[in-house]
Amino acid sequence: MNNLNIEICVGTKCVMNGAMDIMQSIENLKEISSELSEQYNSDIEINITTVKCLEGAKHHCSSPWVSINGEIFENTNSETIMAEIIDRMKWDVV
Amino acid sequence: MGCGLKMRGLYTPVTQIRRQVFEEIARLAYEGGDYRRIEDIPYKIIPGEIPRYRESVFKERAIVGERLRLAMGLSLRDVGKPAPISKGIEDSAISEKYYEPPLINVISFACDACAEKSYIVSENCRGCLAHPCTSVCPVKAVSIVEGFSHIDKEKCIKCGRCKEACPYDAITKRERPCAAACGVDAIESDHLGRAKINPDKCVSCGMCMVNCPFAAIADKSQIFQLIRAMEEGKEVIAIVAPAFVGQFGPLATPDKIKEALQILGFSMVYEVALGADMGAIAEAHHYVEKVPSELPFLLTSCCPSWSMLAKKYFPDIIGSISNELTPMVATARYVKERHPDAHVTFIGPCSAKKLEASRKTVRSDVDFVITFEELMGMFVAKEIEFSDLERSTSFHDATATGRGYGVAGGVASAIEACIHEYYPAKEVKIDRAEGLSNCKKLLQMVKAGKRNGYLIEGMGCPGGCVAGAGTIIPINKAAIALQNYKQTSSKKLPEKPEEV
Repeated sequence: MNNLNIEICVGTKCVMNGAMDIMQSIENLKEISSELSEQYNSDIEINITTVKCLEGAKHHCSSPWVSINGEIFENTNSETIMAEIIDRMKWDVV
Repeated sequence: MGCGLKMRGLYTPVTQIRRQVFEEIARLAYEGGDYRRIEDIPYKIIPGEIPRYRESVFKERAIVGERLRLAMGLSLRDVGKPAPISKGIEDSAISEKYYEPPLINVISFACDACAEKSYIVSENCRGCLAHPCTSVCPVKAVSIVEGFSHIDKEKCIKCGRCKEACPYDAITKRERPCAAACGVDAIESDHLGRAKINPDKCVSCGMCMVNCPFAAIADKSQIFQLIRAMEEGKEVIAIVAPAFVGQFGPLATPDKIKEALQILGFSMVYEVALGADMGAIAEAHHYVEKVPSELPFLLTSCCPSWSMLAKKYFPDIIGSISNELTPMVATARYVKERHPDAHVTFIGPCSAKKLEASRKTVRSDVDFVITFEELMGMFVAKEIEFSDLERSTSFHDATATGRGYGVAGGVASAIEACIHEYYPAKEVKIDRAEGLSNCKKLLQMVKAGKRNGYLIEGMGCPGGCVAGAGTIIPINKAAIALQNYKQTSSKKLPEKPEEV
């Protein structure tokens, strides 16, 4: 099973710039995963962990940072991160 | 929760700009020097030449310029007169509170002049046989014209009955989010149809500013002057409202927030829940002694928008507002008795507290008021990372009861718990409201004599203080964090003072 392991940086600037909101959006997706349309694999498990400063980098100018299965995204918001996540839940990318 | 409050607790580009402004003003204050470089900040916040949300970068920067002025405590500029952003900055770049009314401001040229409330028939209308819209309309404003429902704007009284009756959801309510969020109908229009706040009606709850989707409303801040006071070596003590728990992210535990505040330069940090504890006991006593023999009912006093609402709109019942000190003032006085030379800074979720602290009777107790969101800008400007902090300090100022003041219902249940504990024979009747329009309805019932014998709690913000205009995290998350924190309290209930 291809799980999605999502790490959300909850450093000070990431929280100020909406990290908790991104977390809330992902949690909302988890809640409705059984209602996803057929093009998505609703068995994919989403794991959310909060971390401090991914890879220890200073990222004050490009917060919030989120990583999906190790791939790091900068300057994120709910809109961009949810697009990445839902894309990875399509059957054809499994 | 009424319509118009839909954006609460969501992080949007509006939130982003508001917080960037706080961060930059905090940085300006920390760095010191020539403050005229405030002129550069709009270019940092709005870089390049492609506008992100509005028609031009110039307008975006001009709006940021006004927000920067408000964050400095300065008033808006006259749009028609030449003036740099820094005009008057020498007056506000001080290390004492700087305040000129009004607190809450509409940046007129940022306002999109949304249409005032009306009901509109959408394409969903199928011109059905039943057309209940026409029969429920009490003023006969709705009729079938050319096969579809039609609302006569002249006759319509905006009651919404047609909307409720339509089986196709075809009638939509158009409403200005600021006006919908305002529980006291203080939003009017200027000559260009843009929002204008009627200062006689406004109770400064701040809901319009956090519900405006065009970021056109902002309040004045005191962070600049607070930072200057600390940088200049003044003794400044923080008193932190109960709703602070969880606001600064999962790494920022209450103990670490206390530590971070000390790193910022606050010499000591107290919980305002301490003053809430004192108030809960005193109000419990007050209720037992005076209701119903001397007072027909007792209104809680801790929410400044609620008590302002009662004073402005129901002047004949103000005798029943508890005259206990609000938790902010009680805590500030407790601190000042012990540290008479210190400047006391209230850190909370609330914009109305900024006005409460400017009242004549309170001015000498509370020197600065800032919000959690403004404090977050200070943490970021100072590059404080909560994960780097050692847990060396903790809070033991208050009980679970006082800490509960931060959520709707918490004040009344705190007082009730004290009454049950210390006056077990007394029967307590409680009613409460949250959101100013609900508060107003409740006060109308109170005035009509329908709540005699009651202890009545009002909270201006829907959800209580955790939903205040100056909060950071989603309301439900804040309420859960506060509930968990209450459970860790070493004491559950404040002790009854000897003299009571």
